[in-house]
Amino acid sequence: MRKIVNILIASVGGQGGLTLSWVIARASVLDGFSVKTAETLGMSQRYGSVMSYVRLGDSVKSPLFEPGEADYILGLELVETLRRIHYASGSCVVIVADEYRPSYTQSIKYPALKTSDLVEKIKSLWGRTLIISARKLAERAGSVRALNMVILGVFNAVSNLLSRESIERAIREVLPEHAVSASLRAYELGFEYAQQAR
Amino acid sequence: MTLNSDILAPPGTRVPLMGNEAIARGLIEADARVVVGYPGTPSSEVIMALQPVSRQLGIYAEWAVNERVALEIALGASIAGVRSIATMKAPGLNVASDPLLSSAYCGIDRGLVVLVADDPGPHTTQTEQDSRWYAKLAKLPMISPSNPQEAKDFTKVAFDISEELGIPVILRTTTRVNHTVSDVVLGEVRRIQQDVKIVKNEVRFVRAGMAWNLERHKWLNSRLRLAEEVSTKYSLNSSSGRGEICVLTEGVAHEYVSEVLEELRLEDRVKVIKLGLLYPAPRKFLLENLAECKTILVVEELDPFLEEQVKAILHEENVHVRVYGKLTGHLPLEGELNKNQVRNAIECIIRGLTPPLTTRSEHTLSPQDTPPRPPPLCPGCPHRFSFIALKIALSIRGYKLSEVPVFGDIGCYALAVYPPISMLWTEHSMGASISMAIGAKIAGYTKPVIAVIGDSTFYHAGIQPLIEAINKNIDILVLILDNDVVAMTGHQSTPAWSLSESGRPLRPVSIESIVKSISPDFLATIDPYNLDEMISIISEIVDRPGVKVIIAKHPCALLERRARKVEKKFYVDASVCRGCKACITATGCPAIVMEGNLARIILEDCNGCGLCTRFCPYRAIKLLQGDST
Repeated sequence: MRKIVNILIASVGGQGGLTLSWVIARASVLDGFSVKTAETLGMSQRYGSVMSYVRLGDSVKSPLFEPGEADYILGLELVETLRRIHYASGSCVVIVADEYRPSYTQSIKYPALKTSDLVEKIKSLWGRTLIISARKLAERAGSVRALNMVILGVFNAVSNLLSRESIERAIREVLPEHAVSASLRAYELGFEYAQQAR
Repeated sequence: MTLNSDILAPPGTRVPLMGNEAIARGLIEADARVVVGYPGTPSSEVIMALQPVSRQLGIYAEWAVNERVALEIALGASIAGVRSIATMKAPGLNVASDPLLSSAYCGIDRGLVVLVADDPGPHTTQTEQDSRWYAKLAKLPMISPSNPQEAKDFTKVAFDISEELGIPVILRTTTRVNHTVSDVVLGEVRRIQQDVKIVKNEVRFVRAGMAWNLERHKWLNSRLRLAEEVSTKYSLNSSSGRGEICVLTEGVAHEYVSEVLEELRLEDRVKVIKLGLLYPAPRKFLLENLAECKTILVVEELDPFLEEQVKAILHEENVHVRVYGKLTGHLPLEGELNKNQVRNAIECIIRGLTPPLTTRSEHTLSPQDTPPRPPPLCPGCPHRFSFIALKIALSIRGYKLSEVPVFGDIGCYALAVYPPISMLWTEHSMGASISMAIGAKIAGYTKPVIAVIGDSTFYHAGIQPLIEAINKNIDILVLILDNDVVAMTGHQSTPAWSLSESGRPLRPVSIESIVKSISPDFLATIDPYNLDEMISIISEIVDRPGVKVIIAKHPCALLERRARKVEKKFYVDASVCRGCKACITATGCPAIVMEGNLARIILEDCNGCGLCTRFCPYRAIKLLQGDST
């Protein structure tokens, strides 16, 4: 593999973007990688624009990477993914939930968008995009809050970077106890979905 | 915060830790016994990580009422014989600066470390303060890690240096170290004999004796002069590569420099000098390592702190080398550094070009495609009720919102600055809401003046300004928004709690009793969810003479949601909704979104406060019947 894999996670505060970055980081260390994460958060507890970075490889120094350097963009929300699409490197794979959270600004200032418009917009900007019905899969796993773990499942099926064992352990260690079983199930559903889609 | 049990893993284990968790582990390894601080991003997780295990480890890890109290507690513990640390974000050190400067004169007995977390960017801080200047101001050694591994290791070193020099040591971090998760190899947990005793010594501890103060100042300077020598054995500073071009760097900037040099394949042509001891800059080490350098580029976050120090040293030693950095325009004086900027600066030096090089063009979308997402108050947030009540009450009394200044303070409620609430005029420094409102009145402002302050901020720095207001008979309305928690920084305890996060029993101190005891002209405690009562009381008292205090008391919606399930939820009846957006423009609740031409409530986000139902002219928002989860 290449020396460093750069993963960018785009989400709305409260969706579990940070949790996703911590699960990937933890699983990476369990699998023997060197890892660094970072995030831009803003001031609110919830509903702000959140971007997290995860970098893994043999030896990772900087916690940040630059626009044009992401190998994977994991989007938990469509507008936030669009906002960060310029981080994609030439070979980047964009994996995004078909989840649309209009912001206050959107609702007040601009004509309402449809989810399908956003999907088309992202696809037109980036060919290697996988749109995932993550909410449906998360609901099937037992909790819509496990949407982030669906995306993790797809990511790992596509990237083949991390071991199943390490991911499971990381989920158990990072998530609160009551969320573990739905998270594991959501991961599996995402993973299977990606394999079938191939 | 869920415990990362890895902070207790055996020595030699390689585990993923956030920088702040690594510092917590460093405190365990260093056998620190007293860990106090005040919550502030990005410093809070040090204490949060320790608290679940602190009592079992015999560590006192608790929040103090503010940073100066925290530092004074840590100082008291240190002179009583135990290793102590005070943790805070950058503005917290301003609050604690009084004891910081005095603590340098009295010195310490057991190691005393002050952790200050700066926030280049800034991401979550009111200023881009460079706290490194405090080291120079207080004449205290400062060390700074580049990554979580060093954060842990340097925490230990800070205690050792503090004890060897007999003075406090400042451990300075930045967001990209505090909040970065990385693989960290754990070290031995030391047990150090720490006998509790205090030795009376007026010369050291009493600053009322001017001759003593002069003597202690000389003593302090003599200790500081030993800093480089004492710290040498800890390998805080390092150099790599060789060449006539030298990059001098520190903190996370070192990580950017290393990667950029690797990418440009310049590792063999450029020498990198990394400092862990930032103050006093290690003169001997620098002169030895800069001996063959013809050009120096200083890469550091925030101010040209090292740049100025190294220039002074070179000048004093009569060494003629060009020094580039922030003062020469190679790197920016504001904002957080990134790899592109560092790459540009290095390329400018290598190719002998004048900065700035053009940065790579970024792919940009129109704001219509990606509208900004200003951070809102959460669904069900009690602050939303308080601000809307204030807005309505002022309108009822015939005031224009543009003529009644609302002085705000630091906390979630500052988010009321954003539309549609748009009710906050200022947000300054802890406690400034009440004091600035007093100033406006004293200046002669005739219309009502309002101060809004949160519960934790009131305990922290709001009590004295309220005393001032009452004592000087100022005509102001003070709203204390009491949500029973330090919400913005991640739900830490306040002095109103009866049990701390570590499980320590506390004696609750009530805001109401405090306020009552200083006798304002009016005092009421209201649940802001009773919007009509809030409106009627505010409109009744807003222009009465004297100090009026309303405690708007309702728990943080997130906390309440966690404590008990959301009992009810609301939905928009699509057959009734006409898409007028009144629910959104009145409340700004992020659980309500426009979908197509109609409003929709995101069910899993609704906390059931029902505020939106009051503003729908068509009664389209209805209570959801049946299972609401």
